[in-house]
Amino acid sequence: MLANNRAVNISEQLMIPQFLCSAIELIMNKALALSNKPVSLTNIENKTLTLELAELNFPISVSASNTKLLVTSTGAASDCTLISSVTTLRQLQAKQQLTELIKQEQLDIQGDIKLAQQFARIAEELEIDWQTEIAKHIGDVPTHKLTKISEKAKSSLAQLITSLESDVTEFLIHEKKLAVTNSEIKRFNQAVSKTQEQLSNIESRLATLVNHSNEN
Amino acid sequence: MSSVEKNSTPASEQNTANSTTDNTTHFGFQTIEKEEKVSKVAGVFHSVAKQYDVMNDLMSFGIHRLWKRFTIDASGVRPGNKVLDLAGGTGDLTAKFSQLVGKEGQVVLADINSSMLNVGRDKLRDRGLVQNIEYVQANAEYLPFEENTFDIVTIAFGLRNVTDKDKALRSIFSVLKPGGRLLVLEFSKPEHEVLNKAYDFYSFNILPKMGELVAKDGESYQYLAESIRMHPDQDTLKNMMENAGFEQTSYKNLTGGIVALHKGYKF
Repeated sequence: MLANNRAVNISEQLMIPQFLCSAIELIMNKALALSNKPVSLTNIENKTLTLELAELNFPISVSASNTKLLVTSTGAASDCTLISSVTTLRQLQAKQQLTELIKQEQLDIQGDIKLAQQFARIAEELEIDWQTEIAKHIGDVPTHKLTKISEKAKSSLAQLITSLESDVTEFLIHEKKLAVTNSEIKRFNQAVSKTQEQLSNIESRLATLVNHSNEN
Repeated sequence: MSSVEKNSTPASEQNTANSTTDNTTHFGFQTIEKEEKVSKVAGVFHSVAKQYDVMNDLMSFGIHRLWKRFTIDASGVRPGNKVLDLAGGTGDLTAKFSQLVGKEGQVVLADINSSMLNVGRDKLRDRGLVQNIEYVQANAEYLPFEENTFDIVTIAFGLRNVTDKDKALRSIFSVLKPGGRLLVLEFSKPEHEVLNKAYDFYSFNILPKMGELVAKDGESYQYLAESIRMHPDQDTLKNMMENAGFEQTSYKNLTGGIVALHKGYKF
């Protein structure tokens, strides 16, 4: 408790929440300004969405004016509050996970859920032509080269990840025998279903026998 | 400024409490007649108004933006609130408050200095912030508003330039609504001696030179350094707020106490 208070004090003294909010605000408004497709904030004007993450000891509130977003570290007067963690937010990228995460109590939504959806829609609507933006600062040729290098790096990284995944799988399943294959899982599931079926048969026969003995 | 003899002794060696009488006050390290202070401070701010934002960024390495954000976060402002940004100068706090109070709310940017007010008004209008902002040239000691008007009053880096701080605090108390709060963001006394020494060196040796180079006005920035040292420390200001009628007063030191944010409520 004391250590926690100390951490809050240090965070306040160094103004970490304000620094973080300032950076987020800058990035968000820059992204809005750079979008090729005009993004309207009219639907969310004067509304506030707050994010309370388990990893942070302060909330992050995003308020919308007619043209800009304002990020503060106060949770007061929020129209919708999402209480979660960074890990859970990453899982949220898969839309079907939402209900599951709420059921598992990894995500809590307080207030108007439509507001959270509107903010998400705005993020999806952003269309930023990064190449054009970078070219404005460093020129066309360096941008082209940079793009090629980053594409190559991305593809190499993807290959590396795939190869690592398959090597690790091979190692765990066949060499160390720590993991099982899909077919083994399927067989195991079938066996479990069969046992379940047999068990329910036995239960019904037992119930019949008990009824008979009671009647006699 | 240059016509008045200056005392260049660092603040730590000064006896600030007993160095003024009923008719005199401080202007940096000088003791002057109270009537003189308003025009002298006005001279400083007329001179620096155009370079004020650039100098703030330079002098504080941009940290003043975080101090102001901290103030906004601590204000508990809500949509529909009525806010007075006193000594609001170039309108940094007003810009944020204007977005947060929304169409239903209102922000009044007040400053005694017309040059500062003009720079603030031009800046905010250029940023498209017009719908809920009013501009008022006002002296903090005699606020031209009805009693119980505002939910929040802020005064950022302005109180130390006010001639009669007690009178200003009473005036602010009167225009606040019951339940309203005052936030005073102001330079204060660093908590650690090493930081205090480094800060003294920076303020009296580097800051005026920066003022000379960028704003072509070293004397105004010498005044800035001196006025910071003559400003009441954290506990003294807290007591002054309590004497003016504020309750639940508290302060938070920022950046090791170089700046402190005082908060008090009117009930």
